[in-house]
Parts: sequence; C-alpha cells; structure tokens
Amino acid sequence: MAEKKMKRCPVSFQPDIEEMLNAGSLSPEDFESASQTEKEEFIPDRQSVSYWKDAWRRLRRNVVAMVALGVIIFLVLFAFVGPLLVPYDYDQFNKGAENLHPYHYSLEDQQRLEAEVAARTQTGTKSVDEMIAEAQAEAEAKGEKLSTVDIAKIRAQAKVAQQNAQGGESEVDTETLRKELGIKKKLFGYSADELERKAAGEQVFPHVFGTDMYGRDILVRVMYGARVSMSVGICAALLVLLIGATYGAISGYCGGKVDAVMQRIVEIIYSVPEMLVVLLIATALKPILTEFVNTQTGPLRDFVSVLGPNLISLFIAFGMLYWVTMSRIIRGQVLQLKQQEYVTAARALGASGGRIIRRHLLPNCIGQIVVTTCLQIPSAIFLESFLSYLGVGVSAPLPSLGSMATDALSGMYTYTYRLIIPSLVLSIMILSFNLFGDGLRDALDPKLKK
Amino acid sequence: MGKYVIKRLCMALVTIFFVTCLTFLLMNAVPGSPWLSEKTPSEATLAALNAKYGLDQPVPVQLLKYLQNLLHGDFGVSLKMQKNRDVLSIILEMFPVSAKVGAIALCWAVLVGVPLGCLAAFKRGRLTDSFLRVVCTLGISMPSFVVASILLVVFAGGIQALKIFPTLFDPSQGWKTYVLPCFALGFYPMCYTARQTRSAMLDSLNQEYIKTARAKGLKNGRIIFKHALRNALIPVITYLGPQVAFTLCGGFVVESVFSIPGLGRYFVQSIQNRDYPVIMGTTIFLASFIILMNMAVDILYKIADPRINLTKGGE
Amino acid sequence: MSEQKPKLLEVKDLKVSFFTPAGEVKAVGGISYDLDYGEVMGVVGESGSGKSQEAYAIMGLLQQPGKVIGGSITFEGEDVLHFSKEQMTSFRGSRVAMIFQNPMTCLNPVYTIGNQLVEALRAHDKSISAEDARKRAMEMMEMVGINNVEKRMKQYPHEFSGGMRQRVMIAMGLICHPQLLIADEPTTALDVTIQAQILELMKDLQKKTGMGIIFITHNLGVVADICDKVSVMYAGRIVEQGPVDDIFYHAAHPYTLGLLRSMPRVDAESYERLIPIEGTPVDMLNPPEGCPFAPRCEHCMKICLKKMPPYVEVGEKHRSACWLRVQERLNREESADE
Repeated sequence: MAEKKMKRCPVSFQPDIEEMLNAGSLSPEDFESASQTEKEEFIPDRQSVSYWKDAWRRLRRNVVAMVALGVIIFLVLFAFVGPLLVPYDYDQFNKGAENLHPYHYSLEDQQRLEAEVAARTQTGTKSVDEMIAEAQAEAEAKGEKLSTVDIAKIRAQAKVAQQNAQGGESEVDTETLRKELGIKKKLFGYSADELERKAAGEQVFPHVFGTDMYGRDILVRVMYGARVSMSVGICAALLVLLIGATYGAISGYCGGKVDAVMQRIVEIIYSVPEMLVVLLIATALKPILTEFVNTQTGPLRDFVSVLGPNLISLFIAFGMLYWVTMSRIIRGQVLQLKQQEYVTAARALGASGGRIIRRHLLPNCIGQIVVTTCLQIPSAIFLESFLSYLGVGVSAPLPSLGSMATDALSGMYTYTYRLIIPSLVLSIMILSFNLFGDGLRDALDPKLKK
Repeated sequence: MGKYVIKRLCMALVTIFFVTCLTFLLMNAVPGSPWLSEKTPSEATLAALNAKYGLDQPVPVQLLKYLQNLLHGDFGVSLKMQKNRDVLSIILEMFPVSAKVGAIALCWAVLVGVPLGCLAAFKRGRLTDSFLRVVCTLGISMPSFVVASILLVVFAGGIQALKIFPTLFDPSQGWKTYVLPCFALGFYPMCYTARQTRSAMLDSLNQEYIKTARAKGLKNGRIIFKHALRNALIPVITYLGPQVAFTLCGGFVVESVFSIPGLGRYFVQSIQNRDYPVIMGTTIFLASFIILMNMAVDILYKIADPRINLTKGGE
Repeated sequence: MSEQKPKLLEVKDLKVSFFTPAGEVKAVGGISYDLDYGEVMGVVGESGSGKSQEAYAIMGLLQQPGKVIGGSITFEGEDVLHFSKEQMTSFRGSRVAMIFQNPMTCLNPVYTIGNQLVEALRAHDKSISAEDARKRAMEMMEMVGINNVEKRMKQYPHEFSGGMRQRVMIAMGLICHPQLLIADEPTTALDVTIQAQILELMKDLQKKTGMGIIFITHNLGVVADICDKVSVMYAGRIVEQGPVDDIFYHAAHPYTLGLLRSMPRVDAESYERLIPIEGTPVDMLNPPEGCPFAPRCEHCMKICLKKMPPYVEVGEKHRSACWLRVQERLNREESADE
C-alpha cells in the first residue's frame, strides 16, 4: 500500500487515516459544506487588547514597578495630606521643644533617673568649696599655708572637673544609669512641657521625628520638603515636556533648513554642562529676583514672591537646558512618522501643519513622551536637592529635603536622624520614580524591554 | 576623520563661547556692586574701585574686555576670598586636587560598573539581576550628599571599630584619606555605568550576529567576550562624557562634606561669598573642561566603532 | 534506499512551544519529515507558520521562552535533542550550518570579515594554523564569488553590499564542510537581481559539495528553482509535502493552491488575476480543534471545523492533510466496492 511508505510516528498528532476510515467514525454529513457563520464561530475570539490595556497589563505584572507606584502614592499622601493632620507648621517654633530626639522618656522614668543621679552626685564629685577646704586641711597638716594663687588654681581645676562631670562624662553616666535602671526609650519626641500636659490628660501630638534646634517639628518639615520636591519635579517635567515636544515637533515637521538651524542650537545646548549652568543661573537669579521683589509691584511681582526666587530660577534653568533630550526624541519620532502614508493622506486632504502634528504625530509618540516625562521627574528632584544642599535652592523658611540635610550636618553625630530622615525620604522618592519610570518604559515600549 | 575632529572642535568652541557669555551676562545682571556687603565704602572709594576693575563701562565693552582677557589667560582677580589673587592661579592650584579625586572615583566607577552590568545582563531575569537592578537604581537615586552623609555617619559615628578611614581630608594619611570621598563620588557613576552596560549588553546579545556566532558553533564564553562585550562597550564610552561632568559637579558637594581643598569646595564657598570673578572663572574653566572632555569622548567613540569613521567619511 | 544507512536528517513529530506570559504558543505542532544526503528541501509558509522555529530547533538555537516539547530530531542516526552542551556546540557549524535572512545584521560590525571567517573555521578545527586558516578562508571567499580576496579579508562588514555579505555568510557556513545547510530566507532581504545570483550560487555549491539543504522561504518561485521536495507549512503543521513537481502541478491542499494562485507568473495570460488568500492566520495562542486553515478555506466542510485532517497519500511520496482528499478517497473506495 502506498500509505505504508510514509513512516508514521506512533505519537503523531496527525490522526491515522486508516483508523478513522475503519472505525467508520465519519458520517456523510460531515462532508457537507460549512456555512459562513460556522466558519466565523470557529475562530475563538481573540480579545483585541488595546495598546493601553496591554501596557497596563504588563505594568501590573511588574512587581517592582507596582511597589514603586504604591510608594509614590504613599509619598504623595504624605506630602500633600500629611501636613493637614499634623497640628504644627513648618516654620512654627515650638518653645521648649528644641532639639528633641524622635524618642522620649516617660515622666516617671525621668524622675527615677534624676533621683538616682542626685544620689550618686552627692557621693561622687565634690563642690569647689569642699575641694578648697580639703586642700587647705591637707596643707595645714603639712604645716604650710595655701597662697591665694594656689587657691585660684584649685578653684579652676575643680570647675573644670565639675564641667566635665556635667558635660560629656555625665552623659555617659546617665546612659549607663538608664540601662541599669531598665529605663527604655519610648517612640516619638515630647518636650517636658508637652509630657506634663499629656499627663494632665490633654491630647498632645507627638514630634514623631523630633525637632530641630529651633524647635520646629521635623515630620512636618519633611512633609513640606517632600511636597516642594515633588511639585518641583512634576512642574519641571511638564515644562520640559511642553518646550521639548513643541520644539522637537516643529523641527522634525519642518525639516530642511529650519531643522538644520534648530538642531545646531540643540547640539550647543546639549553639550553645555547642565548642572554647572543651573548652579550658575540659580546663583545669579537669586539676588536678581530678590531685588525684583523688593523694588517692583504688580501681579508679576506677586507671582515671583509666591514661588520664591529660587524655584523660579530652577524652572528657568530647566526650561533653558533640560528639554533637549525630549526634543530629540520627539523629532526622531516625527521624522519617522512623517514618512508614513497616513500623514501623506492627511496632507493630501488639506490638513494644516498644526493639525497634522496634533492629530497624527503626537498620539503616535505618546508612549515615549510619557516615559521620558516620567523619568524627568526624579532627575528634577535630584537637581533641586543638589541646589538646595548647596544653599541656592528653595529659599528658607520653606524647607527642602536638600537644605534640611545641609542644616543637619553641623550636629550630625548627636542628631543623626535629622540628616538621615530627609536623605532617606529623598532617596526613596527618587528611587520610586526611577523604578516606576523603568517599569513604565518596559510596559509602554515592548521593543525596549530588556 | 580630520574633518569630524575640526567640526567637533568648532562646536565645542561655540559652546564655550555661549557659556562664557551667559556667565558674564548673568553675573553682570546681579544687582548691587560686589562691594556692598562689606562695610559701605564712600562714594569716591566706590567709583575708584569700579574704575579699577572696569565696572564703570557699558556691559558689551566689559564683555569684550573680559573675553579678550580670557584669551590671554587672564581670569581676573578674586574680589573677596583671597583678595586680589589671580583667579587662574587659584584654579590651577585647586584643580589638581579635584581632578585626582574625580579621576580615582571615575576609574573605580567604570572598573566596577562594567563587570556588574555584564553580570546583570547574563543573569537576566534571575535574582542577581533584580538585586543589582534595584541597587543600581538606588545608586542613581541617591544624591552624592546623601551617600557622603551616610559614609560620615557610619565611619565617624559612634562605633570605634569603624573609624578606619579619615572623614576629613588629610593627605598625611596617604591612600586612606581618598577612600571615602572617592567612594561617595564614584557611587553614582558606578551605578549609572552598570545600568548602561547592562542594557547595552542585552541589546548586543539580542543582535543577529550573536545568532550567527552561535550557529558557527562558538563557545559561550567566546560569544560573550568577543562578540557581545566589544559591541556593548562602544555605547558605554559615550556615557563617559556626561559622567565626567557629573563627577566634577558631584565634587562640589563631596569636597565640601569631606573638607577637600579642591576647586569644587572653593567654588561653593565663592558662591556663598559672592566672589563673582571666582564664580565666573571657575564656571568657565570647568565648563570648558567638561565640553572638551565630551568632545574627546565623542571622537574616541568614532575611533572605537569601525562603522562610523568609514561609512560616513568625515561626517 | 538502504535500510542500514540512516538518513541525513529525520524529524519526527517535532513540537516547539513558546511559553509566553499570555500562555503557551504552539509554534510548531508536530511535524515530521526526512532529508537524504544531497537532497534540497524547501519549507514554504507565511510569516509565523513556525518554519524558522523548526530550523532553530535543529540547530539548538531556540531563544527563551521557546522549547522543544516533543518529538525527535535524528541527524545521521544521532539524537540531536539529547546532545550535551559541548556536543551541540561542536555539532553547530561543523556538521550543520545555518544562514539567516538579513545579511546586514548577521555579521559582527566591529570585526573584519577575515577575522569572522577564520574564527568559524578554528572553532571546530583547533589544530589548524592561523596561516592555513586564512588560506582556507580566502579559498572559500573565492568559491562564493568574491573578488580581490586579499583586500576584502581586511574589510569590515559595512564595506560590503547586501549580496556580498550574504556570500560571506554562505562562505562562513560552508567553511567547515557541513553535510546540511539550513538557509532561513536567505534571499528575502536582497534585491531581485541579487536574489537570483545568490540562488545560482547556492545551487552551484550544492552540486559541488553534495550537501543537503533545507531552504526556508515564503517564495514559491525560489522553491521551484532549487528544491527537490517541498513541505508546505501552515500554523505550525505541514499541510502538504511532496516532490517539487507534484506540489506545483498536482497541489492537493487548498492552502498550497492558494499560494500558487497568489504567485505572479511570467507565463500567465495577461487577464489572469492574482488571487490572494482571504483572511488572516489563526491565533497560535489558542489554536482551534479542527483544521487551522478551515476558516480561510473556500471548500470548508463541517468536519474541517471539528477534527484535524489525517495525511492522505495523493501520489508517490506526496501527502496532504485535507478532508477533501479523505472524501475523495472514501468515494473512490465506495466506487471500487460497487
């Protein structure tokens, strides 16, 4: 038989014809023509997944990006809703609550400690007069008399000893004492006054992260700092988007000489060291705008004074320098899309240039625009903190995470948390935006997915 | 190739000119004369001072004069920080310190970043990759002052055993004194390099010539090190230029934190003291340095990639 | 053919799946064929029909998340799928070579042509001296019709035109004298005139070396020119298989017929129209129960939508998987019975 020539694998997916024919499993109606509807039903409906749905599905599966998104949402709430819940203000000096640690000892514990310290001091260090009396007794025993110079010497030594006891050494002493007494730190900072009020049954909101040297609540300042950072980041990103997209779209769409000139400008700005120039602009604009606010009147002055000279200089710097990457991306996309037929078709139908850019070109590069904008936010926050750290960023009294870190440098070994908390919040914020931006890029542009 | 170098050089000179003008105009627009913050001098003294430093002339004349002086290597004299000292001599004294710290930082960044990036690329999708990815993203998310402060807290904090490296710059300690500043300065570029290497490596591994190499029956190691790495490193070169700029600017912070007597710290101090000639001089000097480094890196890139210098001729 | 000597290549019920996040994509759903020494087989099918994946499976070049999930591949009696990593590495390039669709991207841009040719040779022949290897590489380049070899060896891929690069690819593939060459759409990316040259070259080389070739293409014209036999693939399955003349003159599967009709012919009457195959290929993510071509088939019957058709012999070594052929055979048997 002819069939035998083709060797068939026993596990083949293809059914054996002999088996089928012999089993008589085929009926004549099987060989009737199938109707069109039957044919259509045959193909299982493939859910047509839209671009955004598909991207969202990919994004949702990216655990890191979703965690980052969660952190971002938390930080937004922290920065924008948080200050409403905390009854302190960022520039409010809480008298008597200076230099609080983010922990406290309860009133009873403090009393116990004081009693213990008092008990030990009596036996421990001697007062100045005691020391002099002792020395005199000693001298008399030897048959000498102390001169006034000697007495002054002893007095000075005793004072130094006493100061030492009160300062560094007693610090260590109280630490060990606390350990011996089993006194534990309790969460959140309270001033002595606040503790008493709390003991009296009053509701007192704690200083969760402690306070700074002026008694300003650090939690609230961090919240405002985060708010400033985030606003700066988002506004700067939007500014970059606006300028970059417009410039890039025009440059790419016009082509020819216009494009050539515009690209030369981009090339020059591209090779300018941004951070240096931003620093320069911020430095120079600060006095210029301060002067402007002090001497001028009118709505522009009000606008400037509301934003503060430094934020404005930051935005100017971004508007001047940071849009080039965005414009390059958009231009590239536009150039690519310009070749495609539907643009030619639109042009043949008499659509104007602006309409073509709006309706046909921009929607096609939206993915890349979103990703670039999203990744611009952390870089703006980064830059803002850098400037604030160097003292030319956000102006006091408005806090910024960067300037808070600078302020904390002086007492960093005693009040480490003042340095660590703003730094951590800042890093986590930038990290989340970066991770989310990465995830977004993977989701929106599968080609780029690595 | 020669044509490209010349074109690139012209471009760099235009950019330097642009930055110089911008610097000058910005500094000029700052209200008040630089003398005002000291005790108010008399009118006559002010006029004399202005005349002495040429501040009484119109702005364009001043700009031209400044540019002319720059070409002769005259950056002006410091007005406050080291009164009447030539700015160029200050820069030349301070810069080598910054350059040394920066170069060490950049070196370790590249030497560690590239292998880490490769490692992440080979282990793509595995735990190592995810871990490195988060660490490197964290690295590019931490401003240098955060890294520097953490180092300070760890190495100069309460724990005696960790006080192995000095946190204040002290050349008598030898190499030890460079450890912390260079780590702080190089951490960002290291993570950045690792990320770029990873994506360049993955890109390279996805190329068709890798498939060809596999089809030829080459061993895995050879495919990775000969075919993938060489191609992946070429784009990494281009990121070096911005990294130089970033390291120098990061130096402002790191030098201040670790009290390194370099140009960066001096620059920050001059900003706080509003010593305008120093600000201008330093900005122009650093900007030129960065722009020229960028140019050098671009040219290096063209040399490293055989595709470009020959197909496009001099373009 | 003798039973003792194994065929050059035997593929049995090969299945390849891609495990994507959306589910398992059965790129190749059980195909079988064999190839003898010196035979040229064409594999024809549209994009996504699994023809390239099937070739990658032979080379062990499947990319993640692709995997061979069933069947066997036997090369000269050896089980390729159970090769160790080292065996596979030495198998690739020396006994079976592959050339790819796009010669523009298949050569490493940062190494010279000579370097890459010599590398291919020395990967399998460790004992050969550098000088000998260079000579062999130059011979190979001359053999594939490249002039000025001495200079060309030192050039980079971008200095070669597309056709020249494909010649280099062929030279690289053949430098170790493989018994089998897999050509994955080697002419698709080239100009028509260059296509003809490359085909001519391959035919020539095949005669000279006597190697077997699997020629993957979507161009039936190319198949007619060079192949001894043809497998037509659709949706991961071979729907028709047979000697090249049978396929062209006695096509037994509606898909093959459709392909033939959609192909421009020089000898056609001017009023004859090209007829495209309506519809789009099935979704490989959830392939239907019945014949995958059914929805696009003008002869579609009820059974086509329910059951996979079996292979029916329609001629010498010519078989087709279509219910129409089953029906014909049933009718024939009935009339024979009467």
